[in-house]
Amino acid sequence: MRSGGLLRLAAKNLAADRTGALLGGAASAVGAAALVFFVALGLGVGDATRRMFPGDARLVEVVPPAVSLGEVLGGGRLDDETVARLRALPGAAGAFPRLNLRVPIAAMRAPEGLRVNWPPALVVQIPAVGVPRALLADDLAPGAAFDDPGPGGAVPVVISRRLVEIYNRTIAPSWNLRKLPPPEALTGLELPVRVGFSMLRQKTEDRVEDGRLRVAGFSDRVPLYAAAVPLETVRRLHREYGKADQGYSAVTVLAARPDDAPSLGAAVRRMGLAVDEGERGAAERVGAAVALTTGALALLALLMCALAALAIAQSLVASVRARAKDLAVLVALGARPRDVRRLLMLEAALVGLSGGVLGGAVARLSAVAADGALQRALPDFPLRPETLFAFPAWVYLFGVAVAVVSAALGALAPAAAAARIEPARVLS
Amino acid sequence: MIRLRRVVKQFRDGGVPHTVLDGLDLDVAAGELVTVVGASGSGKSTLLYLAGALDADFEGEAAVDGEDLRALSADARAAFRSRSVGFVFQSFNLLPALSALDNVTLPAFFRERGAGGRTAVAEAGHAALARVGLTAKAGQRPPQLSGGERQRVALARALFARPRVLLADEPTGNLDAGSGAAVIELFQELAASGLAVLVVTHEERVTRAGTRALRLEGGRLQ
Repeated sequence: MRSGGLLRLAAKNLAADRTGALLGGAASAVGAAALVFFVALGLGVGDATRRMFPGDARLVEVVPPAVSLGEVLGGGRLDDETVARLRALPGAAGAFPRLNLRVPIAAMRAPEGLRVNWPPALVVQIPAVGVPRALLADDLAPGAAFDDPGPGGAVPVVISRRLVEIYNRTIAPSWNLRKLPPPEALTGLELPVRVGFSMLRQKTEDRVEDGRLRVAGFSDRVPLYAAAVPLETVRRLHREYGKADQGYSAVTVLAARPDDAPSLGAAVRRMGLAVDEGERGAAERVGAAVALTTGALALLALLMCALAALAIAQSLVASVRARAKDLAVLVALGARPRDVRRLLMLEAALVGLSGGVLGGAVARLSAVAADGALQRALPDFPLRPETLFAFPAWVYLFGVAVAVVSAALGALAPAAAAARIEPARVLS
Repeated sequence: MIRLRRVVKQFRDGGVPHTVLDGLDLDVAAGELVTVVGASGSGKSTLLYLAGALDADFEGEAAVDGEDLRALSADARAAFRSRSVGFVFQSFNLLPALSALDNVTLPAFFRERGAGGRTAVAEAGHAALARVGLTAKAGQRPPQLSGGERQRVALARALFARPRVLLADEPTGNLDAGSGAAVIELFQELAASGLAVLVVTHEERVTRAGTRALRLEGGRLQ
């Protein structure tokens, strides 16, 4: 049979039975709209969650165990040998030590070249952690160095992307400070600091010197609460200020694939070390809850699509009964039984297609309305999502495909019944 | 063109076999207009649908346009109907959603690719409508046409595929005298042009127009 002719005939049949087609299309649209809406909601909430908890699924944070029997039994301390063993674990693509700076650093002035109304008495204590360059290489600003500059040089720092947003959304408004420009505009700025100075008098070192921190980039691999500086800088400052070597504070193990992370975590625990689930754990839990909820809602939407398919099936059963003579005429004119079946299936698919397209549009409009209501209802907070929905093209295609397939499935039985029509009996 | 031999057709009515055609023989040659009369339920329509390959469940021999109907598969029967047979029904059986032209070209909807483009199909449809004098009604739908016009559209549809055999079931049963006469005249013209025309009817005016008139009684033609 000619596909074009079949399509034309199906369209004309639907036009003739507008009521049935509209009812089927409406049922299909409701199912598709629910499906697209909930899947887009799940994707959007997932995106928002990842923005709030930007944990890299490949990173495993190794920390010394809270309770250790000491080095005698091979557990506890994180040193270069442990880092090498972690790097050699199956599934590990790298291991990057972190060393917390135990020399206090405080900022008392605004960064040079940045218009910020810094309060005169404001002292900001800056926790710092030393990391190797390789951990942050991808996040450094183009041309930015991340090596120890030596005594008196500007120390490169990389800070968390989220810190700027939290500052702008929370700290700046509450302290009546100017907001910071986007992170990209901050790279290269230098912040004057006092090295060895602490707000707590007893923590201040005997030697306090002027220093500078130069923003070298922004990264999600840096803890929210600290600035990342070169590992060598931390070691140098520890030497200069006479701090004893206590081993690394943590080691970040990079799994070759996200799937390797759980087995790496297990191997780390077998080494007598602990894994800091921290944000990653929270992100995973939130992500799992989002996936579960979205899955349940999508399942509900699929059920609605199934109900739509039933409605279409019911409508088609009635239509086949009413059009038995017309279908018999088609057979008399040369249609094969499978042509009749395909015609009915195509009619259902067209109903599903129009329902799916309409459903996608309804879902999008509903999402815009829901986002509008959300923005009015929620207070401003750091990392507040602008939208709870994500509509990649495949979501629409998925909605349309499910609507078409469910409609076609619903048409299977009536189409088969139509194909079995005996024209000699019907036309007599 | 139509050759039926010892055809037996039975229906089951509540499990009881009921013989409608009982050893029927029939020959219709090209250029003939053969009419079949008979009482209601005598099997006239059954004979027609059997000759038109709509029903293959019978005993005996049936050859139409050189094809042994019992040897054809369901798909081959469909292709045969599309190629060789034109049907005309008492109640026209036009699809109300389609225009007259679309109704006429309906057989082309079921042909495989390569059977001519859309333009060629439309031209053939217009030609068929012109043959029955309905060129001006091509765009109208069946509900907008009179009974006579509808039957002429049905006739144009039957002629669209240039069949070798035309089978008509009470073609004038729903028509007034004038429209019926026009349709009968068309049948005569078609037979004269070389078609084998088999018409089952109740009406004497039709039997008078035929080259032969047969009566179906007791499952056989007399």
